[in-house]
Amino acid sequence: MGQSDGRRSQLLRGVLDLCLLAVMAEGPAYGYEMTKRLRARGLSIVGEGSIYPLLGRLERDDLVETKRAASNGGPPRKYYSMSPEGKRALEEGVREWQAARDAIDGALDLVKVEVRP
Amino acid sequence: MNEFIGECRKEWQRLGVPDPVANEMAADLTADIDEAEAEGGSAEDVLGNSLFDPQHFAASWAEARGVTSTPSTPSTPSTAPRRSLSRRQIAAAALAALAVVLVMGALVLGIGHQSASVAMSVRKILGPGSVHWFGAGPATPPARVFVSGPSFAVGHGPGPAIVAVGLLLAGVVVLGLAVFYWAPWARRHSK
Repeated sequence: MGQSDGRRSQLLRGVLDLCLLAVMAEGPAYGYEMTKRLRARGLSIVGEGSIYPLLGRLERDDLVETKRAASNGGPPRKYYSMSPEGKRALEEGVREWQAARDAIDGALDLVKVEVRP
Repeated sequence: MNEFIGECRKEWQRLGVPDPVANEMAADLTADIDEAEAEGGSAEDVLGNSLFDPQHFAASWAEARGVTSTPSTPSTPSTAPRRSLSRRQIAAAALAALAVVLVMGALVLGIGHQSASVAMSVRKILGPGSVHWFGAGPATPPARVFVSGPSFAVGHGPGPAIVAVGLLLAGVVVLGLAVFYWAPWARRHSK
């Protein structure tokens, strides 16, 4: 893992829970379904480690609600959806992220570099 | 993949995760991996680099859910702060403390009983007034005086001695319980 990957990993680690809550806002989803939703938005977080421990923590902290239901022709799956506490945590987390991002942008905008996609 | 799930199950069992919870986690994992493989992907698409460390993955997941009953010993050094004492450790410490109190009580009773016996022996031999009691109040006369042979041993009778022996035995039993509770934890952490 290069220095760039290491920094990306550290940056993501602090907001992965927000990302998971954000994709749950689209509707209840099971574990792998959330991974696919994030990938569709250009965010592959699986490389940073599995999402299951993170989902477990969200569940323990009552930020998500779970229910077991049948999936499309497959076995019953555990569906996660945001709880009212999770919604509040997401809103607060997004505010914190935006404030931090704006402050960091204010510092880094002084540096002129060519941004590669 | 069955091997990965099997390793996870072993770890959950070691951590004391209840069977229904372990079954649920294993079923969710299996279903997700099956779906990824059916779509042409692999287990790595679901698990990322956790695929190569099932023990750590299983422990992290169970601990995050708060379903473990024993502390884990991760295979790799962790930077996480040390966990607080488990209930088992607290029980062992409490039992050890109780054992100490019981043994101390037995010793105090035993020594007190012996001192009273000696003092009463001296008073018997030297006559009244030869023994002076120090303390908050007058000494309680012995409940029963007995004489055994030419040494004129005098005591309070068997009451306090029996209590002292009882306390001592109780202390030993409680100490044994403390060791019983502490030993499995200590064994795991000495590996």
